[in-house]
Amino acid sequence: MIETVLLWLFAATALLAAVLMLVLRHPMRVALALTATMLSLAGVYALLGVHVIAVFQVLIYVGAVMVFMVYAIMLLDVRDRSFTRRFSRLLLPGIAAALLFLAILAHGLWRALPEPSGAAVGTLFALRHFSAEFLNEYWLHFELVSVLLVAAVVAALAVLEVGRRHRG
Amino acid sequence: MSHPLAVIVLLPLAGFLLNGLAGNRLGARFVSAIGCGLPILAFLVTVKCFLGLQAAGGAPLIDIAYTWAVVGGSSFEVAFYFDALSAVMVLIVTGVGSLIHVYSIGYMKDDASYARYFSYLNLFLFFMLLLVLGRSLLVLFVGWEGVGLASYLLIGFWFEDPDKARAGKKAFITNRIGDAGFLLGMFLLYTALGTLDMDRINAAFMATPLPAVSASLVGILLFIGASGKSAQIPLHVWLPDAMAGPTPVSALIHAATMVTAGVYLVARMSGIYLHAPEASAIIAAIGALTAFFAATIAVVQTDIKKVLAYSTISQLGFMFVALGVGAYSVAIFHLYTHAFFKACLFLGAGSVIHALGGEQDIRKMGGLARRIPVTFATFTVATAAIAGIPPLAGFFSKDEILWFAFASSSGGSPLLFAVAATTALLTAFYMFRLLWLTFFGRSRMTPETEHHVHESPASMTGILIALAILSAIGGFLPLPHFLGSLLPLPEIAPALEHFETPLMVVSIGLAFAGLAAAAYLFGGDADRAERLRRRFPTLHRVLSGKYYVDEAYDWLIGRPLYWISDRVFLRLGDQKLFDGSLHGLAALGRRSAGGLSRVQNGNLHLYALLVLVGIIASLAWSWRHG
Amino acid sequence: MLIATSAALFALGLLGVIVRRNVLVMLMCMELMLNGVNLSLVTFAQQTATAAGAVLVFLIFVVAAAEIAIAIPIVLLLVRRKGVLDLDAYADLKG
Repeated sequence: MIETVLLWLFAATALLAAVLMLVLRHPMRVALALTATMLSLAGVYALLGVHVIAVFQVLIYVGAVMVFMVYAIMLLDVRDRSFTRRFSRLLLPGIAAALLFLAILAHGLWRALPEPSGAAVGTLFALRHFSAEFLNEYWLHFELVSVLLVAAVVAALAVLEVGRRHRG
Repeated sequence: MSHPLAVIVLLPLAGFLLNGLAGNRLGARFVSAIGCGLPILAFLVTVKCFLGLQAAGGAPLIDIAYTWAVVGGSSFEVAFYFDALSAVMVLIVTGVGSLIHVYSIGYMKDDASYARYFSYLNLFLFFMLLLVLGRSLLVLFVGWEGVGLASYLLIGFWFEDPDKARAGKKAFITNRIGDAGFLLGMFLLYTALGTLDMDRINAAFMATPLPAVSASLVGILLFIGASGKSAQIPLHVWLPDAMAGPTPVSALIHAATMVTAGVYLVARMSGIYLHAPEASAIIAAIGALTAFFAATIAVVQTDIKKVLAYSTISQLGFMFVALGVGAYSVAIFHLYTHAFFKACLFLGAGSVIHALGGEQDIRKMGGLARRIPVTFATFTVATAAIAGIPPLAGFFSKDEILWFAFASSSGGSPLLFAVAATTALLTAFYMFRLLWLTFFGRSRMTPETEHHVHESPASMTGILIALAILSAIGGFLPLPHFLGSLLPLPEIAPALEHFETPLMVVSIGLAFAGLAAAAYLFGGDADRAERLRRRFPTLHRVLSGKYYVDEAYDWLIGRPLYWISDRVFLRLGDQKLFDGSLHGLAALGRRSAGGLSRVQNGNLHLYALLVLVGIIASLAWSWRHG
Repeated sequence: MLIATSAALFALGLLGVIVRRNVLVMLMCMELMLNGVNLSLVTFAQQTATAAGAVLVFLIFVVAAAEIAIAIPIVLLLVRRKGVLDLDAYADLKG
């Protein structure tokens, strides 16, 4: 019972923070709103029983991604036109399209939603079981993602090089 | 010789090919030898065939050279047919043709395109022989078109001069208008009879029951073709302009042979015309009108060749009068005598022009009788012949025509006779006028021309003498009797028979009256003619302007056609419609590309929006289709 | 309900990319989109009791991290060149 309430609460918080993201003016505040969304989502995951994902949500998303984001915002504190005029010319068409999108999604999802199997989650998402399953069944994906990370490292180094050359 | 007729036809073709392809390289002697030798050879073969025809008692010689096409049940062959009528025509074509070829050696001696001239002349001869020897209307038509082509090539022989080139075009186009009628006639005949062989067509019309086609309609259509080729009203306008070609060409094509093709066609198709009284009446009427009309114009012409051109039109009109009243053999008789004296006149005119170094205006001639005596003598003989002074050739044939115009029971009438007689008077008048102004009186030449005057070489004067002799004695050949079995003379009403001798006297009287009038007006110092002209200025102007027929054609036909071509077809059709649609397509592409390229404005917001729209669209589409 | 929330989060993220002018804010909205998708994946994994959804979420974490690690330096370099964070200044690839 309390779990349902908490679930609804966290979901609502996520939504609210997301809406705030679109409305706030200062990028720093937007970042904070996004962090709030992410934390709420972590809570949702935890409440759903998928603890391992919840933990990694906080660790990676909030801990790495958002920190980096905040760092960049602090570096680039530029008060230009995007500060005073938040929205692009496509505000109204964008809102219309988004509403249409939601309507279609709602229509489609309402028709064909898979039945929850009702099976107990049990220890499926416990760390030990999860990691065993992950590295047994999906080891290829794991390796490919590590290749992606290597590529990202190389790209970061390249960016550094470009920056260094530019600075002369 | 197994195919003598084919040989006659092919000899000039060989001449055309040899001279055309190799003439320039092999020199003038070769060109003259081939160009004159082959027609003379053709003439000799013709004489042989003619003797063979006499020996066979007039039975026609048929020579099937080549089967061109077999369509369904009918076959189209290239076949030649030689009977009495063909014999007369081929003898004239090859005989007079050869004489004119020899004359051309002297006349065209200094011309740069000597080989081209002779090759075209031989080409003309080839097509003309196809025309008169052809058995079916199809072969005749090939020859018909071919002589039109050769005429165009020869009229526009000195094509660097745009006027002369234009004259050639005019001749060809006017002929083509007539040919449209000819083709329609051929189509009708083929649909009704299933064959185009002329002997079979005549046989079908002479048998009973008559074929299921209106003989008058076919007759009129064929006559339209004939009037195009033989320069009858309203398609006569090309002949005076055709004088732009070299004079021997005018003699051969526009006096002796090509223009007589129309007369030959009608005479050959006599089977049809005997059963087509309306068509025959029209032919007689147009012939008489043309004869009178052209004679009136000839009275005031000042170019020596133009006088002769209008005279030719007028004499052709006479021939058509004879055809119209059913006297087909008489028309051929006149064709035959006309070939001699008209060729002699034209070649004589050529000799005069040659002697004067190019002068053609008779107002600038005079006093030449003693200086170029041979030309003068032959010209006089030919003039007397055309005026109808007995016992020269023209008298016999013209008198026969006048007689049948009056007395023939199939169309003869006093009115027709009156018009023809008046024309005969005018003919005598203007021909003697020409003679007087050219050869008699004080010299009106410019000093340089006078210095240049000399008699023509023997190759030219020899031919003139030969033709003058033929003009003199040619009338004694009883041609109507020779053709009598083939082309019977029309019936004469018994009541009119006693008019024959009086009318003969009248026609002789007319000839001498014309001579007298010309001598009176132009004899002394041409002053009386000047005074006459000043008394009737409007008439003189209308006649000099050739009744303004060319101007009328230009105004009624030429200008509207030009307007339609320019406004409707060029500006509207071609430029607006075709070019416009192409340009429109291109402009459409350009404008749509311009419009569509505004999507790529570099703005990420727009791209993201378009992605969203795309997602919506694909979701909607996939969920609509299940 | 959670699926609806995830759809809403995704839509809001996409709307944010279309609507906001600041480049960094746009990046953050893209992260929001990813989060929305993560939520839906986790919900399905939990509902159908399979691990595949969770594994995919894990992989998305990695991808998101790598992406942000490169995207932000790129933005930095761009801003160094142009001096503004407004997206309208970066319409150089026109036409």
